[in-house]
Amino acid sequence: MSTETVVAAIHESIADRAPLRINGRSNWLSAGRPVKAKKTLSLRDDSGVVGYVPGDLTLVVRAGTTLAEIESVTAEHDQWLPLDPFGTNDGTIGATIATASAGPLATSFGLPRDLLLGLEFVSGRGEVVRGGGKVVKNVAGFDLSRLLTGSWGTLGVITEVSLRLYARPKVDRTFVVTLSREEKTNAALIRAITVSPLAPFSLELVNGTAARQLALGDKPLCIVRFGGNSAVVESQLKALSQLARAEEVDQSIWTKFRALDREADSVIRISSLPTRFLGTAAGIVADSPPDVIISINPRRGVMRLATLQAGNSYSTEPGMPIDIPEDGKSSDTVLIFEKLPEDVWPVVSPNVAADSLSRGVKTVFDPHDLLNPGILGN
Amino acid sequence: MTLPSQSNASTVAERLADIVGERHVLSRPSELLVYNSDGLPGYRRQPKLAVFPGNRDETIAVVRLLAAEGLPFVPRGAGTGLSGGALADDIVVIGVHRLKQIISLDVENRRATVEPGVVNLRLNKHVAPHGLLYAPDPSSEAACTIGGNVAENAGGPHCLKYGVTLNHVLAMTVVLPSGEVVELGSRIGERDGYDLRGAFIGSEGCFGLALDITVKLTPRPQTVRTLLADFMSIDAAARVTSSIISSGIVPAALEFMDGPTIRVVESSIYAAGYPKDAEAILLIELDGLEAGVAADLETVRQICLDGGARNVKVARNDAERLKLWQGRKKAFGAMGRLAPHLIVQDAVIPRTRLSDILATINAISEKYDVLVCNVFHAGDGNLHPNIAYSADDPAESERVHKAMTEIMRACIDVGGSITGEHGVGLDKMGYMESIFSEPSLNAMCELRGVFDPDHRSNPGKVVPIHSCKEWHSVASTRSVDRSRVSEPPALAAEPAHPSAQ
Repeated sequence: MSTETVVAAIHESIADRAPLRINGRSNWLSAGRPVKAKKTLSLRDDSGVVGYVPGDLTLVVRAGTTLAEIESVTAEHDQWLPLDPFGTNDGTIGATIATASAGPLATSFGLPRDLLLGLEFVSGRGEVVRGGGKVVKNVAGFDLSRLLTGSWGTLGVITEVSLRLYARPKVDRTFVVTLSREEKTNAALIRAITVSPLAPFSLELVNGTAARQLALGDKPLCIVRFGGNSAVVESQLKALSQLARAEEVDQSIWTKFRALDREADSVIRISSLPTRFLGTAAGIVADSPPDVIISINPRRGVMRLATLQAGNSYSTEPGMPIDIPEDGKSSDTVLIFEKLPEDVWPVVSPNVAADSLSRGVKTVFDPHDLLNPGILGN
Repeated sequence: MTLPSQSNASTVAERLADIVGERHVLSRPSELLVYNSDGLPGYRRQPKLAVFPGNRDETIAVVRLLAAEGLPFVPRGAGTGLSGGALADDIVVIGVHRLKQIISLDVENRRATVEPGVVNLRLNKHVAPHGLLYAPDPSSEAACTIGGNVAENAGGPHCLKYGVTLNHVLAMTVVLPSGEVVELGSRIGERDGYDLRGAFIGSEGCFGLALDITVKLTPRPQTVRTLLADFMSIDAAARVTSSIISSGIVPAALEFMDGPTIRVVESSIYAAGYPKDAEAILLIELDGLEAGVAADLETVRQICLDGGARNVKVARNDAERLKLWQGRKKAFGAMGRLAPHLIVQDAVIPRTRLSDILATINAISEKYDVLVCNVFHAGDGNLHPNIAYSADDPAESERVHKAMTEIMRACIDVGGSITGEHGVGLDKMGYMESIFSEPSLNAMCELRGVFDPDHRSNPGKVVPIHSCKEWHSVASTRSVDRSRVSEPPALAAEPAHPSAQ
């Protein structure tokens, strides 16, 4: 499999007017709005390292390369791609970039767009296009890389990705603070951790339901990951310990954390100003319905809700920090729907690319509407 | 542009004056001289008119008037750019320097919303009392505007650790060249749909004009330590740079200055106390939590000494630290001592190739008998070879441009980029085809067309028109006025009619 294969597939699709479902390893087929395509174009077999110079801390890989493969190749040189999207490491880098999926490490390493140096894609016109480059700083030309990131395969099929790597921290440890039943104490602790000079790699608050899935009891937790040289980790641990009793847990907790919503049939992210969560996060994780898995990243101002029972999660729950307006829009809240039951999409989020610029962009890159049609809306 | 006759021009000028007030429209050639170049004085283009709106509504009204008239324009911040990007060739300049309100500051959520004419350093001074900073710090920070920074996706020394403008802008309100006002990105932080915010940042004024910009602010680091390491060989300093990067430590900044640059700075008013006999210095800054910084400082000091540093000096206090930085940040200014004009490049190379490329640059400078001063962001491989010269000397200009072209080729050949932070503008357009294929350039043209279907905003920049399939055919079939959508001359032609025309 190669870029030429993708070009051929798209030309065939243009000729037949047959839309394509683009995917990597088929892990996320239930995410996004239903796609109206009978044929599938999988990048699964288009994998492997194209270029890796450890001294440059940059990596070029084919889109079908899994996060696990990237992890093992870079680990040999004590490096890593600090990107841990929800799901598993069996997912491909192409899909991760296409969906702009991030996880707890985004707290300190940023979103996929911040780690991406450049990419190659095949547009819906069957043309091979490159944006960005392979060096760590680059402003040559208009930014097609950012445009493709998070476009869910609707503008082009990503075939190759170049990424910025980091050296693995010498020390990388995770601690759990069990939140008490006392809401006031929790609130003070969360505020202290969130606004302190601590610089955790990750900082997540989870409710009791999530804690159970993580096999860490049934009380709400604050999970903190510190990395760096030993001095920086020790000093932060000391500061954390002054705030609360912190218990060290195995790093494998993050693998479980990323799998939290695997069984969920609806997953929603709520993005708001961090201060919106400071006062309420403690209440939410302490007092949430048992069938909802909640994690909150108070530094980034993102709450993630996963539920098995459709229809619950997007209605206003008791203890929710935000009154979610019916149209999902508000001046200080953004609702991002990742997974929903098919019939719910048209009601709560029919289209996220309906504005005239987005429509213009779509027309330019996929004029025949052949790539993942419908996944962002019609 | 479509201002063929003087009477027409006056009409537009009068109508612009009705919007912004007479004193904020310039139309006399003598008044417009100031706007005929940016920070690269080798390129000169005389605008037809310059208009300076004083608020958001005036800006929108100006853009709508120009849209109604079908007139092209160039948005301009402080004019400190280094790519010829803000030049207006016989068309209208919209200067944003009067749009300088800091609209809001949200300390707890660490974000600010500003108008595009707010000067970078002013924003930093405004947020400093709250323990915050705005991370992108171009060397022109004392003059350049946030609007200009967004247009160029500006960087700066501290972008090594903190990222460039793109990583710090959350949202913008933009007036498109049609006059339509749109919101890009989200002030809150995340959103879905296409990342039009990301597409707009670094679009060099070709996609429209930002009316307000919401930026992310960064907490001031607990501790900042700055080291000065000096070397008797360029190669040793380059190798130490690569060693620091591959050690995994991410310094806040890692800057390189070679012997000629050190000596120019030291003989200027910006003298920072750099050792004048050194062949290279590295200015290395580490920041973060105190305990971590202390450990990294020792590691970095040892790497420098093992790599052949003659001395490693650590600034003892803020005054010493700022002095060390002053020399670096004002190095471009200091070069004014050498010759009337300066050309500077902005190529980025893989960091492991630093030593080879510096040797190549040295060989090229000898071949063409020009003095190259290297002062650059070594940590991210972003080179800034400078050549001071007189653009009034045609023979010297030709040698300088040939040397620069060869340096650029060498950087492209090792897999680099033609620009890391200055933008393509006019200056690097001739290289776009060396790093992007025809379909890629065409895709960029088409993206531009979504924001600006008539290519009226900063026409003739970034992507060569002949790379735009549709525009190419339009330009050849319709008799489009060349000055209306003007394609600048190829790079090689530039030295023939440079500077003070």
